Amino acid sequence: MGVTSAIPPGTPRGLGRRPWVLGLLLALLGLGVFFSPILGTVSVSPDTVLRILLHQVSGGALFSDPCAGASVPASGCAGLIEIVWDARLSEIMLAVVVGAGLGISGGTLQGVFRNPLADPFLLGISSGGTLGAAVVVVFRIGVSEQNLLLPLFAFVGAIGTGAVILVAARSRFGSVETLLLTGVALSSFLSAVLSLLLLYSPSGSLQVDFWLLGNLGSLDWTQDGIAFGVVLVAGTLLATYGRELNLLQLGPDVAQSLGVDSRKVRVRLLLLASVTTAAAVAFTGIIGFVGLVSPHVVRRIAGSDYRIVLPGAALVGGGFLLAARDLSLVAFPGTLLPIGIFTSFAGAPFFAYLLFRRRGASTMGAP
Amino acid sequence: MRLHGSSSASARSRGTVPLAWFAVGLIVAAGLSVVGIATYYALQPGAPTGPLTVTDDLGRTVTVPADPGRVVVLGPSIMDSMYRLGLRSHVVGVDCYAPSLGGLSSDYSSDQVALWNLSASMCVQTGPTFEVEELLALGPQLVLAATIVSVAAVEQITQTYHIPVVMLQPATLTGVVLDDQLMGEIFEVPGSASVLAQSLQSALSRAASLQDNLTANGTPFPTVLVTYSADANGYWTFGPGTFGQSLIELASGASISANATLPYPELSGEQVLASDPEFLVYGTGFGINESIYAGGPFWSQLTAIQDGRAVGMDSNYFTEPDPTMILVGLPQLIAVLHPNPLA
Amino acid sequence: MTGPSDVALRLRGVTVRFGERTALHDIDLEVPRGQLVALTGPNGSGKTTLLRAALGFLAPEAGSVELFGNEVLSLSVAERARRVAWVPQEENPREDAQLLDYVLYGRYAHLGWLQGETTRDRDAALRALRAVGLEERAGDGILSVSGGEKQRAILARALVQEAPLVLLDEPTSHLDIAHQLDFLTRVRELSRERGVTVVSALHDLNLAARFSDRIVVLSRGRRVADGVPSDVLSEELLARVWGVVADLRRDPRTGAPYLLPHHLVHPAPSGPATFLGKGPVHVVGGGGSGAPYLRVLSEAGYRVTAGALHLLDSDLETAESLGALTAVEVPFAPIGDEVRERLRALLEAATAIVVAPFPVGPSNLPNLEEVRRLLGRVPILLVHRTAGQEWDFTGGRARALENELRDGGAQTVTGTTQVLAALAARPVVPVAQ
Repeated sequence: MGVTSAIPPGTPRGLGRRPWVLGLLLALLGLGVFFSPILGTVSVSPDTVLRILLHQVSGGALFSDPCAGASVPASGCAGLIEIVWDARLSEIMLAVVVGAGLGISGGTLQGVFRNPLADPFLLGISSGGTLGAAVVVVFRIGVSEQNLLLPLFAFVGAIGTGAVILVAARSRFGSVETLLLTGVALSSFLSAVLSLLLLYSPSGSLQVDFWLLGNLGSLDWTQDGIAFGVVLVAGTLLATYGRELNLLQLGPDVAQSLGVDSRKVRVRLLLLASVTTAAAVAFTGIIGFVGLVSPHVVRRIAGSDYRIVLPGAALVGGGFLLAARDLSLVAFPGTLLPIGIFTSFAGAPFFAYLLFRRRGASTMGAP
Repeated sequence: MRLHGSSSASARSRGTVPLAWFAVGLIVAAGLSVVGIATYYALQPGAPTGPLTVTDDLGRTVTVPADPGRVVVLGPSIMDSMYRLGLRSHVVGVDCYAPSLGGLSSDYSSDQVALWNLSASMCVQTGPTFEVEELLALGPQLVLAATIVSVAAVEQITQTYHIPVVMLQPATLTGVVLDDQLMGEIFEVPGSASVLAQSLQSALSRAASLQDNLTANGTPFPTVLVTYSADANGYWTFGPGTFGQSLIELASGASISANATLPYPELSGEQVLASDPEFLVYGTGFGINESIYAGGPFWSQLTAIQDGRAVGMDSNYFTEPDPTMILVGLPQLIAVLHPNPLA
Repeated sequence: MTGPSDVALRLRGVTVRFGERTALHDIDLEVPRGQLVALTGPNGSGKTTLLRAALGFLAPEAGSVELFGNEVLSLSVAERARRVAWVPQEENPREDAQLLDYVLYGRYAHLGWLQGETTRDRDAALRALRAVGLEERAGDGILSVSGGEKQRAILARALVQEAPLVLLDEPTSHLDIAHQLDFLTRVRELSRERGVTVVSALHDLNLAARFSDRIVVLSRGRRVADGVPSDVLSEELLARVWGVVADLRRDPRTGAPYLLPHHLVHPAPSGPATFLGKGPVHVVGGGGSGAPYLRVLSEAGYRVTAGALHLLDSDLETAESLGALTAVEVPFAPIGDEVRERLRALLEAATAIVVAPFPVGPSNLPNLEEVRRLLGRVPILLVHRTAGQEWDFTGGRARALENELRDGGAQTVTGTTQVLAALAARPVVPVAQ
C-alpha cells in the first residue's frame, strides 16, 4: 500500500519528540559522575583523583601508587583513597540515584495530576518521612543500628502517608481533587505532630532540621545500594507506564474510553511514585525542586511524550542534583551546604526561566 | 466491521513484547538482588577496631584501641575533660562550623581556643553538614563525640570507615564524672582520672552539704531566674530535665521555671514579673551580653535588677556538661545565690 | 432471527439516579448494528447520562446495558474500548501532540503492554485521517488546528479504535455552521461505508432529522418518542417536550422534515394583567389591505399572524415573507372547517386583533364571524373604512358584524400609526390558553 508514503518526508515523530536526547543525557551524566570526584571539601588535585578512581575501578591493576607526587594528609594514601572512593564517589552516586528517583517521580505526579506544578511531595510524603525520621531521633530508637533504622523509619513514614492517600484514591471519592486535598490535610496534620514532638527535644530538632534540608554526606556503598536497587525497580516499572500517562493527559474519561482503566492506573502510578520518592529521600532527607524542575527540562528539549519524559526526568534529576552538589562546592569551597538549600537556590530562578520562556501553548504549563 | 477478539492478537508483532517483558523482568530482578545484597552487607557487624570494649552513654558497645594517639574530639565539653586529664596532645581534630561561616569560633570561645591551643587546621566540620572527608584526612583512631552530630552519621563512620566513635552524652552531673573515668580507662591515665574525679566529687559534696545546712535550718532556697536569651516576648530559661536546672538545684536555688512543661521554655514578661525572683543570672558569651536582656519586658522593674542582685555568668556553665560546669560554674552560682553562706 | 451480537447497544430497564434526582427512568432501547441514531431531548433529559451508561462510566441503579450482547461493566476497560468509541462534546488537550500521534492514541486498546506501535497502526491512523480529510495536516499540532479540525481528528481517533459502535455527544455544539454540516456528512458516510453503528446526541433537531435513520427523544429521563424522523418530528412534539411553538416544514431538497421555532409556549398567567411580550398580533385582511399592517407591526417588533387567506392573495405572500403563521384556504373556496379551526387557534393565541379594511364576501365572511367570537376577550382594532367604497358583498351580514364589533368595544383606528399607538397604550389582556 502506498499509504505510508503519504506522510510528508521529514515530519518528526511527534512534536519535538527527540528520543536521542536520552542517550545524550546519559552520556553527560556519565561524564559528570566521572569528573565530580574532583570536587570535595578536602582539596585533592584532579590528577590524583583520577588516578585513584582508575586504581580502584581496575581493582588495583592500574596505578599501583596513585598518590605518588601528591600532597598526602595525615592519614596517608589509604586515607586519600577513602576520601575519594568511599566518601566522595558514594556521595556522588547517591546524588545521582536520589535525583533520578525524584525526577521520575515528579514527572509521574505531574502526569497523574495533569498539573505542571506537581512535585514528588504533593501527597504529604515529605511530612510522613520527616515524622518517621524524627521518631527515631527523638526517641533514640536502636542507637547502634540507627544508620539503617533512620532511613527505614523515614521510608515507612513516607510510604504510610502515601498509603493513606491511595486508600482514598481507591474509594468512590477518588477524584484528583480529593487526592490533593487529602494530601494537604495529612501534610498539615503530620507537620503539627512533628513540631510538637520537637518542642520536647531541641537536640532532636537540630538533627531533624538537617534532615529537612537534605544532606548528601557520610553515606556508604551499602546505603547507596539499597537506594539504587529500590529506585531502579520502582523507576523502571514507572517508566513502562509512559503510554498510559500520555492517554491520561486527555482526561480520565477520554482515557477510559480509549481503554485505560484510569482509576487503577492512577493508583498504581501513585504507589510506585511514592515508593521511589520515599526510597530516594530516606537516606538524604527532603530535597526540593529536583522533582519539579526535571520533567520540565525534558519536555523542553525532548518533547512531551511521557515515554521519553519519565526516563529523561530521571537522567536530568540525577544530573541536576549532581550539578547542585558540584556548584555548591565551587561557590562555597571547603564545605558542603545542605543540598536542599542549594537546589532551591538553583531551582527557583531556573523554574522561573522555564515558565517565562515557554512559547505560547506549545509546551505544558499554560496556566 | 467485524467484532474484535482476534485482531488485537494478530496485531501484536511476536518479537517485541516478549523482549520488553524480559528486559523489564531482568531489571527488576537485578534491582531486587542489589537491595538484598546491600542490606545483607549493611547488617554485618563491623570488625573490632581495638582490644578494649566500652559502653558509651547511648548504650552502644564500642571496641577502641588502647591509648590512641590520634583522637578527634567533637564537642567543647569533651575537650574540657581531655585538657584537664592532660590529654591535649592526643587531640588532632575538633568540631567546628564551616570555615567560611564562622569556623572554630562558632563552637569555641576565644578563651577556649587560646587555652586549648586550637587551630583551624584541626577543624572537622560538623555544621551545617558533617564533613566526613575532613575526618578521613586526619586519620583518627578514635572519635569522642557529644550531641552535635547525628547519631546515624556516627554509626556510619564506625561501620564504614572503621573509626570507633564513642558518644559521650552525660544525662546527669554524675554522668560527667563517669565519663571522665571512662576516658581515663581508654587513655590509660588512671592517675589523672582519679584526681579529676576527686575534685569533681568534692565540689559536688560541698554543694550537697550546703544544701543540707540550709534544709536543717529551715532556710528557704532563694528564688532565681537563670536566662540564656531574651527577646521582646520574654526570657528563655532552663526547664526540668536540663543541666541548667540540675545546676540550680545543686546550688540550692529555687528556679522559677522548675515546673515548666518544656525543657527550654520561654517565660513571658508577666510570668517573670509575677514570680519576681530574688536573683537574676543572665548568660553571657558568644556575643551575648547584658544589653540583650535589658531589651526584654519589665527588665528594669524586676526587684533583682533594682537591688543589684543581677549577675552575668558564662552560658557554657549551664549548657556544657563538663568538669568546668562543676568546678567553676557550680561554685560561682553558689556564691551568687548565697552571698553569706552559713558556716 | 437476530442474535445478541447483532444488537450494538441494548438498554433494558435502565434507571440511573444521582442522589435525589433520577436522570434515567426505566429506559429500554435497542440499537441494531449499522443504524444511525440521533438521541435528542431538552437539557437535562438524560442524553449524556445514557451515553455514559453505554460507555460504562457509571453503574445504573437498575437494569442492564449491553454492548453486542455483553454487559458493559463485565467487560474489561480495554475490551470496552474495542467495542465502543466515544467522541465527547468537548475535549481540551493540555499538551500539544501531532495529529498523527493524537489519532494513534486510539490504538491503545489493540496494543499489548510495552508493545510499540507498528506500521499497521500508523497506516490505520493515516487512513482515518484521510477519511476525515486531515491527511495533509498529520504533522500539525492538535493545539494549533481549528475547532472543526480538532473535532474531525477526534473522530479519526474514534475510527482507529475500530470499534463497531461510535457514540457522539453533541459533537457539533462548538462548531460553526459549515463545520456542522461537514462533520455530520462525514459521519453518515463513514457509517454507511463501514457499517459502523452510530448513536449521536444532538440538540439541533433539524440536523438530527437530516443525518439519521432514527430519532430517539428523551424527556426527563424517559423515552417519549422513537422512530424515523418524519414520524417523530411534529409541532406537537416540540411544544410538548421542549415547550416551543414551531412550524413544521419539509425540506424540498432532502425530503427531511424541519422545524421553524417561533416562540416559547406561554406559561399560564399568574394574575390579571401579566405582561406577555410583543404579540402575536393577528391581522385579518385580504386583497392587499392587511399588508401594510403586517409590515408595520412586524417592523415594530410584534410577531404577527394572519388569516384566513386564500392562496394567491397578495396578503398571504406578505404574511409568508414575514414568516407569519397563517390560516390558508384554497383559492375561491369558502373557508372550510379545518381552516376555520386553524384560524380559531391563531385568534385565540393572539394578544390583539387588527381587522384591516378588506373586501368581505361569502367565502371569507367566517373571518369576521370568528373575530366576533373573541369580542371582549381580546383587544380588537377595527380599521376605519373609507366611505364610498363598496366592501360588503355579503348582503349586509359583514357590515352587521362589524357594527357588532364596534358596539361590543372594538376600537376604531384610522391607520397604521394609530394601530401602533393603540397597541402600545392599551393594557395587554392575558391570552386564554
